[in-house]
Amino acid sequence: MHILFLSCLKATELIEKKFHIKLSFREKLQLKLHKMMCEFCSRYEKQSIFIEKGISNIQKKEPIPVDLEKLKERISVNLEELNKD
Amino acid sequence: MKNQLLEKWVSQFTGELYNWAFYKTSSVEIAEDLVQETFLAAVEKVDSFKGDSSAKTWLFSILNYKIIDFYRKKVNQPVRLESGILSSFFDKDGTWQQEKRPKEWHEDETHLLDDDDFQVILQKCLDALPEKWNTCVKLKYLAEKGGEDICKEIGIAPTNFWQIVHRAKIKLRDCIENNCFKN
Repeated sequence: MHILFLSCLKATELIEKKFHIKLSFREKLQLKLHKMMCEFCSRYEKQSIFIEKGISNIQKKEPIPVDLEKLKERISVNLEELNKD
Repeated sequence: MKNQLLEKWVSQFTGELYNWAFYKTSSVEIAEDLVQETFLAAVEKVDSFKGDSSAKTWLFSILNYKIIDFYRKKVNQPVRLESGILSSFFDKDGTWQQEKRPKEWHEDETHLLDDDDFQVILQKCLDALPEKWNTCVKLKYLAEKGGEDICKEIGIAPTNFWQIVHRAKIKLRDCIENNCFKN
């Protein structure tokens, strides 16, 4: 394969890698060139960034309340069990 | 004496510990278990608790260790990078297959992110991923750390990590498109 040209498979891999790890100069250049030529991968990147935002939103959700007294009791019972041994 | 102290901590800190564990795992059962394990570990280690830090800080440090450990165990089962999924999206030369090409979504982003239906679909699509992929995709937000740090912490090779994320994201994007944007 030409040193500067990527397949869509490789390009999307770099798009994902970029979220986690800084790309090398060559990788950046390869990705930029590919996106200039490929509307699908450009679109993929846009949507992928959007999905990242969506996931981070989900993580910010309020905790589901539980019956804390019940949980405390369960823990206490287990602690006592442990002490018997 | 030791027991009284622990009892006091259980009644004092269970709530806060649970909230934190839930925030990190998004699961009631797992969060409850982790809090319980935290106290069980605390009993065994309480003699080494010197009181330099507050009891709360000490308990949270145990809990944080338990959370990381939980993810480490989950991710460290052998990775299967199934290339099958990639070949269902790309041709042999790595070009998008015609029917799998990302389509224009024509939606206002900010509006969509707040939309309840969209959140439900996103969650559904996340849940449909193999468990480990799901974990890797979420890990970044759970740990509030960069990719390289997470890899180090849970002990997987960075290449492996983002290759899993790559596959997961391709599937996830496709799932969202099929559920939200199919006319």
